[in-house]
Amino acid sequence: MPPSSSSWLLVRLPTLRSYLHNGMLAHARARPFTSTALQASKQLPPRRAIHDSDIEENFLKGSGPGGQKINKTSSAVQLKHLATGIVIKCQETRSRTQNRKIARRILAERIEELELGDQSRTAVKARLKSKKKASADKKKKRKYRALEAAKDGGEEDEVDEEDNTEAEIPTQETSPEDMKKGG
Amino acid sequence: MPRLAIALLRHAYTIDPLLPLLLRPCRTLAAAQNELRWLREHVDKLVQARRPVNRKLQQQPKALLRRLAVERASGKPLQYILGTEFFGELELRCQPGVLIPRPETAASVTHLSHLIQNAPALPSELRVLDLCTGTGCIPLLFDHDFSSARSDRRLQLLGVDISDKAIGLAHRNLARVRRWKASAGRGDVDFILADVLSNPFGDQTLDPPCLKAALNFNKKPYFWDIVIANPPYISPSAYWSTTTRSVRGFEPKLALVPPPRPGNNDTEQADYFYPRLLTAARDAEAKIVLLEVADLDQAMRVATMARRIAIFDGIEIWRDQPDQRNESAVGISAEFPVRGQGNARSVLCWRGLGATWLGRGRATKTSRTTRA
Repeated sequence: MPPSSSSWLLVRLPTLRSYLHNGMLAHARARPFTSTALQASKQLPPRRAIHDSDIEENFLKGSGPGGQKINKTSSAVQLKHLATGIVIKCQETRSRTQNRKIARRILAERIEELELGDQSRTAVKARLKSKKKASADKKKKRKYRALEAAKDGGEEDEVDEEDNTEAEIPTQETSPEDMKKGG
Repeated sequence: MPRLAIALLRHAYTIDPLLPLLLRPCRTLAAAQNELRWLREHVDKLVQARRPVNRKLQQQPKALLRRLAVERASGKPLQYILGTEFFGELELRCQPGVLIPRPETAASVTHLSHLIQNAPALPSELRVLDLCTGTGCIPLLFDHDFSSARSDRRLQLLGVDISDKAIGLAHRNLARVRRWKASAGRGDVDFILADVLSNPFGDQTLDPPCLKAALNFNKKPYFWDIVIANPPYISPSAYWSTTTRSVRGFEPKLALVPPPRPGNNDTEQADYFYPRLLTAARDAEAKIVLLEVADLDQAMRVATMARRIAIFDGIEIWRDQPDQRNESAVGISAEFPVRGQGNARSVLCWRGLGATWLGRGRATKTSRTTRA
């Protein structure tokens, strides 16, 4: 054992740098990690861009002195979209730059909802999410139904067990297809 | 300060038992809720930290949160409790004894960097000197903003402060910013200890040395393209009447009120730094000078001082948000142009090439004649 283990230790593992030189990492980066195929229908609509000229920005602060005389922790940002009159106020974080980004994102979503309604990014996202949840619930129900049936079936007779195996077949059929799509 | 209504305190207590404590410094429910949320996030982070600072307290997050809320109720600034403050896009460390960076300063610095970054005739190395630097926030933010927009120019930045506590913190903040984002700033940033007020021709004390001597000791250049300063500018009477309790009780007076001199009245003491800063800018042959001030009256006084030394081609006053175009709120004599929205916050002076860097058309003629 000792000679073989020492020889095993002497094997030089490829370093990260050699990977980079061979371009293997770059190759890996070009390919998505997930094995499920990206479908065009699943792609979300692009985010709506807002120009700075369309909005009025306001940093909420009390009147009175500023600068060194006070040290305020509020970094609230208020945006008003001039065309629609939508007002967004954000004081999520302590950083004003962060708050400005968040407020702009929320405002863009609101405007898009108003313009596109059902086809807006947030609506599409919500629909996808509810669909996913519904299918997950369905799977869960099926699983517990099968478990319960197996429990009952083990005690009673063999016909039920055959039913169970039949119920499992469709899921077995679909999974190889998914794999093929991914490859 | 009006007393907090019992109904408000009760209502706050039903939301969270710690809220009445935070209402004392915050005064409004929304602000108190925000601060409580940030304190809670801070405690969560401490509890999950890999290297616990205080193991006993970390095992009792509720007790820790309560202790921090009590500290905040005494008026201690939230930034000192959490240990950091956001300055532009940077998150900088703060500690008692060094002034907390203010958002208005960040707005002016970012605006200046925005104006300059697309300028045509910039030198290959741009030098920026920041006097009374404190946490080092101004050089670090200028470096971040300018470097992210323009990488073909080298930057040399130097922060100067009289307090060795501030210099230590500024060095730590530099390391912090570089660790956070290696590409955040490529400039050569340094901080040195010096007394801006001491007269180079008067009695010399080497602890701390005057600005000229300090530049010499540290092998720094004498000439700087841009001079920025956020000096102490509050008069003794304004210190007692207009500053908030958390500023008076917890932030260093050294960074807020200029030192008294025999024969100086209240206003003269508030303006004590500006003649020295303008002289330093003249000696450094600065093309652009940006000085923060308390209000419009002081801005006018400083602008008049700058005009009196007769080296600048243009002087203007910036408000809290100098990048906002709304200049409808007039009512000021048109002696110096006033830009932006909010309170008057800083005085900008330029000469020579500075006018072309800033894109100020009026002075381009004079800059051409000086170059020719």
